[in-house]
Amino acid sequence: MSESIIQKYVIPNSKISYWELYNNTCFWSQSFITELGYDISHLETNLDFFLNHIIHKKNKFLFKDHFYNLVRHNVHFKQNILLLNSKGEYDEFVCKTKEELDVNLKKGSQAIYFFKAKLKTHDKVKNDYYFQETAAITSTGSWYIDFENKSSYWDQITRKILDYPSDFIPTLRMAQKLYAEEHQSIASDAFFNCAISGTPFDLEILMVKSTNKKFWARAIGKPVFNDNKEIIGMRGIFQDIDEVKMKEINLKRTSEIIASQNSRLFNFAHIVSHNLRSHSSNLELIVLFIQSLDDPNEKLELLDTIKDVSTSLNTTISHLNEVVTIQTNCDQHKENVSIEATLNQVCTSISQIIFTNNATITSNFEAGDIVSYVPAYMESIILNILTNAIKYKHPDRDPIISFKTSLDFRNDDRVILEISDNGVGIDMEKFGDKLFGMYKTFHYNEDAVGIGLFITKNQIEALNGQITVDSEVNKGTIFTIKF
Amino acid sequence: MEQKIKMACIIDDDSIYVTLVKKIIETKKLCDNLLVFKDGKDGIDYFETILQNIEQSGIPEIILLDINMPIMDGWEFIERFTKIQNKFKKRITLYVVSSSINITDIDKAKSLSSVENYLVKPVKIDELEAVFSRTA
Repeated sequence: MSESIIQKYVIPNSKISYWELYNNTCFWSQSFITELGYDISHLETNLDFFLNHIIHKKNKFLFKDHFYNLVRHNVHFKQNILLLNSKGEYDEFVCKTKEELDVNLKKGSQAIYFFKAKLKTHDKVKNDYYFQETAAITSTGSWYIDFENKSSYWDQITRKILDYPSDFIPTLRMAQKLYAEEHQSIASDAFFNCAISGTPFDLEILMVKSTNKKFWARAIGKPVFNDNKEIIGMRGIFQDIDEVKMKEINLKRTSEIIASQNSRLFNFAHIVSHNLRSHSSNLELIVLFIQSLDDPNEKLELLDTIKDVSTSLNTTISHLNEVVTIQTNCDQHKENVSIEATLNQVCTSISQIIFTNNATITSNFEAGDIVSYVPAYMESIILNILTNAIKYKHPDRDPIISFKTSLDFRNDDRVILEISDNGVGIDMEKFGDKLFGMYKTFHYNEDAVGIGLFITKNQIEALNGQITVDSEVNKGTIFTIKF
Repeated sequence: MEQKIKMACIIDDDSIYVTLVKKIIETKKLCDNLLVFKDGKDGIDYFETILQNIEQSGIPEIILLDINMPIMDGWEFIERFTKIQNKFKKRITLYVVSSSINITDIDKAKSLSSVENYLVKPVKIDELEAVFSRTA
């Protein structure tokens, strides 16, 4: 490009970036060229060069339209455009045609002004700020796993959520221990599926801080692909949702307690009506019968039957009363109770029965022994299940009863007691749902009243526990109690 | 002239009720012989055993069956009894007599073809007399 042309097409010494359009010629201001970092010798100051080499291709055609509309029809415009700078990067500019700026325009000429979009960087700072604030307020940290370099990256919030120092460098090998033991397989499945088949995941999972404290987190992960659509990494977020999740769990537990209390009340109402009804109908029948008899001696004979009704009515009412007492007493006298000590106490009190039946009792309370409980209930529960196990022993073998505890990790590490025997067993298909019912007996033992397991269940449930049973005829029975 | 039935059967675990009905039957002379079983298992064992005898003696004309009983309840008895009911040489009429006023129990009993009727305890004496005379 000759010196004269440069002189001709470049407006020198202007601090404003603009083009002057005059007589079908386009003059570029010096500042327009320097703002993009170019030297005048590297470029041609005409529209074609601009369209082909400087403006981003996505803005090219619209700009061209605007340009000719301005030149030919005097139509003003404003457009955001990206321009390639000398470093090979695009800068964002706003170009406008209507500006009251102090530039020396020839009479009858038009101008297009270019303003570098400084606001953009300001916005970006602002957006970064909002992004970080949002992440901090919602406790959402992000992470990236790079398969090619076999390394992983955490942002500061991830470090904070997991309680690691701000200069901590995570490694791939430690991934497993970020999750609670019981959720490790869930986590590794999710990460594995994402890494191999690109399946994204969104989980609520128990994670572990560096301090070994467990907390509920939401973990979201997505695969990262290269241009060949190969998975080269994964990125995602961890969000601390412990507070919300704990509330949810508590709410769920409360509603379960209410539902079970409700069903117990309903059940109790049914029991009351059913069991009292059989006595009242007997009384009614006696009265009817007495009325129908003419002989006074025959009438008198029936008085004995009234006595029978009255006795059994009394028994029923005292049983019902026992149940009501369980419900009202349950919260008053909770203490730390040792299951082992209670079992020993019970064994001493029924040592005669244990001895005559040649019963063996084994126990293992290593996992947990102490529960906050009403001591009398613990004794009654153990006594009842133990005596049942001996009473319903298998005729061909000596009874062996084992007590074993474990912890319910899904439920605040509540103690679970499992009592298994090798007795006659119960036909679960026939009696499963009736086993804990009132006045239900399933064997021909003379002393079976059908009140024991009913009371046991009520005691356990009154303290928000659970009892379940599994049994097989001729094999034995297992009672599982969640305290 | 109505003919008195010879034998009735009560399957019920409520001993007071059984004693009373027994007395009513004796006093009103409703039948000559009474069989009593204290649960469904005892009852069905009896009926399944007499089927083995060729003469089939000791078959009652009516059964008064309770629902809520230990070991084998009334429903299971009905289920097993229905399978053998037609093998008897005599017609056996089955009544459910229960203190349950639960509508599902009542509907269930009445829907069973082998059940003649559902009587709610306490049974009235004239009701009892009617049952015994109708069957006879």
